[in-house]
Amino acid sequence: MRISWKWLNEFCKIPLSPEEAAERLTLTGCEVESIERPCSALKGLIVGRIEKLRVHPERADLFVAELDLGGPRAQCVTAARNLKEGDFVPYGAPGSAIADGTVLGKREFDSVTSVGMMLSAEEIGLPWIAEEFGILRLPRALVPGEDLVKALGLDDCILEISITPNRGDLLSLMGLARECHGVIPGAVLERKELRPPQVGNQGTVAWDGLTLEDPGCPLYGLSFAPSVKIEPSPLETRIRLAFSGVRSINNIVDATNAVMLITGQPLHAFDLDRLPAREITVRGASEGERFRTLDGKEHVLADGDLLITSGGVPVALAGIMGGENSEITPETKSVAFESAFFEPLRVSRTARRLGMGTEASYRFSRGVDPSRVLPTLSCLAEFLWKETSQRVEEKVRVVSTRTWDNRRITLTRRKMHRILLWDDLDKASELLQRLDLREISGTAEERLFEIPTSRADLSIEEDLIEEVGRLKGYESVPSRIPPLLHGTGRVGEEVEAHRRIRVAAMSRGYLEIVTYSFINPRWVEWLRIPETDPRSRGFRLTNPISQDQSLMRTTLLPGLLQALQTNLRSGWKDPIRLFEVGRVFLPGIEGEEHREILRMAGISWNGKERRLLHETCLKDDVLSLKADVLALCGSRGRTPGFSSGLEPFGHAGQTAQVTLEGKPCGYLTSIKPGILRELEIPAPVFAFELDIEPLLPEKGFRFGQVVRYPAVYRDISLIAPVGKPVASIEEDIRALGGDLLRGLVLFDLYQGTGIPDGTRSRAYSLAYGDPSRTLRDEEVDAIHDTLRRELAEKGYVLR
Amino acid sequence: MGTMQGKLESIRESMMKELDSVDSSESLQVLRVRYLGKKGLLTQMLRSLGNLPPEERPAAGQSLNELRREFEAALEGRQRLISIAEDEAREASDLVDVTLPPRGRGWGGFHPVVQTMNEIIDIFVGMGFSVAYGPEIEDDFHNFEALNIPPHHPARDMQDTFYLDNGRLLRTHTSPVEVRAMLKWGAPLRIIVPGKVYRRDSDQTHSPMFHQLEGLLIDEDVSLADLKGCLNTFVGAIFGRPLDSRFRASYFPFTEPSLEMDVECFACSGRNPSCRICKGTGWLEILGCGMTHPNVLRYGGIDPDRYNGFAWGMGPDRVAMLKYGLTDLRVLFEGHGSFLTGGGY
Repeated sequence: MRISWKWLNEFCKIPLSPEEAAERLTLTGCEVESIERPCSALKGLIVGRIEKLRVHPERADLFVAELDLGGPRAQCVTAARNLKEGDFVPYGAPGSAIADGTVLGKREFDSVTSVGMMLSAEEIGLPWIAEEFGILRLPRALVPGEDLVKALGLDDCILEISITPNRGDLLSLMGLARECHGVIPGAVLERKELRPPQVGNQGTVAWDGLTLEDPGCPLYGLSFAPSVKIEPSPLETRIRLAFSGVRSINNIVDATNAVMLITGQPLHAFDLDRLPAREITVRGASEGERFRTLDGKEHVLADGDLLITSGGVPVALAGIMGGENSEITPETKSVAFESAFFEPLRVSRTARRLGMGTEASYRFSRGVDPSRVLPTLSCLAEFLWKETSQRVEEKVRVVSTRTWDNRRITLTRRKMHRILLWDDLDKASELLQRLDLREISGTAEERLFEIPTSRADLSIEEDLIEEVGRLKGYESVPSRIPPLLHGTGRVGEEVEAHRRIRVAAMSRGYLEIVTYSFINPRWVEWLRIPETDPRSRGFRLTNPISQDQSLMRTTLLPGLLQALQTNLRSGWKDPIRLFEVGRVFLPGIEGEEHREILRMAGISWNGKERRLLHETCLKDDVLSLKADVLALCGSRGRTPGFSSGLEPFGHAGQTAQVTLEGKPCGYLTSIKPGILRELEIPAPVFAFELDIEPLLPEKGFRFGQVVRYPAVYRDISLIAPVGKPVASIEEDIRALGGDLLRGLVLFDLYQGTGIPDGTRSRAYSLAYGDPSRTLRDEEVDAIHDTLRRELAEKGYVLR
Repeated sequence: MGTMQGKLESIRESMMKELDSVDSSESLQVLRVRYLGKKGLLTQMLRSLGNLPPEERPAAGQSLNELRREFEAALEGRQRLISIAEDEAREASDLVDVTLPPRGRGWGGFHPVVQTMNEIIDIFVGMGFSVAYGPEIEDDFHNFEALNIPPHHPARDMQDTFYLDNGRLLRTHTSPVEVRAMLKWGAPLRIIVPGKVYRRDSDQTHSPMFHQLEGLLIDEDVSLADLKGCLNTFVGAIFGRPLDSRFRASYFPFTEPSLEMDVECFACSGRNPSCRICKGTGWLEILGCGMTHPNVLRYGGIDPDRYNGFAWGMGPDRVAMLKYGLTDLRVLFEGHGSFLTGGGY
């Protein structure tokens, strides 16, 4: 909210500079985000009066004005066409400066010299206050030669204040004045509360009735101005509105806005003659009903929206915006002003659904002060009379279905001390009274306060303690370590596992990344994930910011591939390995709503640069990533299993299913070349993705026996079908090798001349050993021969 | 006898002479074989001792053995010198330019937010808090209602929410875990909740996904002083030295009183009016906090007359940005190698 410092000071005299007041307001909960001085660049501008105005002797598109500057005179040339003799205008002599900092001088216009300049609204920094195109015309009450900035009150500053949603009462000058009175010692309230209007049905306007059909509007008042003249507001009003961030429309609309800024109560003006009937009914909208607001937009309404209707026709969306059908126009002759109380949640719901955040809906959503609804109409009448000499009838028509009592809250010494470690109830009461919270009774242990209706945010004792705390200042509360904090807390398995895994990944050359949990839904098809796969059934956002971020990820792969794409697009050429730990979101099984699964995933890309020094050493493949997976699981004391697997996005010949304790927990693969082509990523890309959950329970590592006697080695070479995994061959060797077979190392693979087609030879070095002695060659030969014979019996051909 | 001695002396002389001229391990080996090998001169002479008269044998044997030992020692000494020279020559020729690029995989790199999150966790765990988790897909009850934010409440405007097609929503803060934790463990309670949260907002300083770390402490007689002490300790730990702090009044529906904590700008301590970090204000907004609202305690099944507590929520992304001097939040979630490796231009 933008607040004019000068205007605010008319309501509360503040004995501080704007900067000091801003600091104090910020500390007490009203954050002042900035202080602007919109006219601070103006220098040396004064008021001038046009004595004579004639057409330029040589150019018909220009005028020459003789200005009276309160003694001195000046001649100015202008192209503006809105001036006449006797007009007062802003004038800048040579050497003075305008809003954008330009310093004025003399200028020749075809033999006529213009000394300085007459100025437009834009040139003095207030484009919004212009009522017409051309030079800004000033009120005739000014004195030629007078300092312009002082005369117009432009030496003002604007506080941009951020008001928290609980403090609807601060969305007005009066509310803010009350707050300043509370939080700034020495501040003096300048205006007392508003005068309530006279209620009655007599008046010059024939009026049939007001009906409240919906509890969403418990109080509604109307006043009438039967004969008005629509014209621009006086300059002073236009400047104030501009400083408050409100655009000037005409005297009537401007008055409703200015009064709203003063009291916080939004008002609406209907063109009385354009109302379909001399009657207003407030009712709930029916589902699907249509209504066109005065900004020209048509809205489809829903059950629960609140409508102002006349003769059965909607004329305003209650508390949000009026209708096009009854808005004030330049031809308007008579006006009805509405001031009402609408239920905050009703207005807020409709405004949010329709995306219509207006000054009115903003205030109604936060709750207006019911006690100001009718007095605001008196304030409006005064304002219109004083500022634009428009008469509003004294009598106000009112219906209400509810009354508001002042809430009462007890403040106890005990509870205040518990939270603030401070228990001076007398001082606390003094502080609260400056906010207009009146103490009505009390003892040494507790005080009872009456809360004005403007403070709907105060409802429990803690609320009062907060008021005391912020007024007294939180800096006065000491600082101590809570007694509950003794000993150390628990990091827990998830954090522990994550930490070990990420350090292992980083040690193996992976860059840790964090990507968005929502992805482009097209990744499902890009990765060829079939409908039968639960990973194709992710949750969709109903209100995404963009299509790119609209599906909750079911796998971490898209984020990693997308990060790789981002790197490639920006010219990255080096090998890169990316790694992420995060949750994926899958449909629930067995009655759960959804499953969130913590995963780790990594990808490796071998780079594009072909002239690397140690090129061959840096190339990854499925087996080098297998080593990574082993290392990552190893960091949690686990050894995963690998078996031939299948993934929709995986190379058919290079995909492994990864298992932990026999249960599938992820994959290791080379991404299908076809997919990479579509993603414009040069192949190959290797990837793995694993559930972290099986790695969570802390597992003590089992250390091995110390070997003191050297092993004896024998080689063996086995021929078996190409498709037979070495894992199963090794299983056979181990099963048959007996207790003394200590280990085996695969050292050669051979396929081709000398062995049958479709078979492959695997050569192993076997280590035999006994923990208690060195084996003799003859013993080993005997065992090894037996193993060879048994393997041959199993169908292996031995070379 | 004399002949033997003279013979040995001349052998000794020529052996030593030859030894002096030897300059490689190979020629040394040839020399060794020539004298000490199976058919070597000294070996043969030892064998032929039997041809001497028995009374001469002991003395001749002794001399011969002495000569043999002497020669072996000389060979060994010579070998040592040759080895050193040969090693030096070999090392000189096997020169590696150690300024060449390394081979194999290097260190990868950490993500600033994950790193910072872990540092924050360690600080609070050290103080006695334990880590708790909760779902990122939440329901309206836990994310809003139980936190004292009824439907259509304007406070919901503070947190623009993503909704899912199953009627759930993405949590807008880590606070729903407060209620879950209270219901699960009851009071007293001391937890921190790190995690991802989501709001419908995107610009330089807002990302639709970001991180939060929530803290909650519930006990009998908890005061604002406890909250201040706890958070001041944290700030000193994360920024490496005690920093001035101030607590401003604020508003959150789930705390009462509500405060915001600012810390002294660690870069300029308020002394530089054009400081880029604090924009000249001297203060950095670091977190929101307050005393847990009695309604929230009730939703958590905790008796607000007996227990009360404090809670806070902070943005590790922001802390990371402050610590590492980053300006664009969204870059954190794009995975740029140049950014994460500290490379780039």
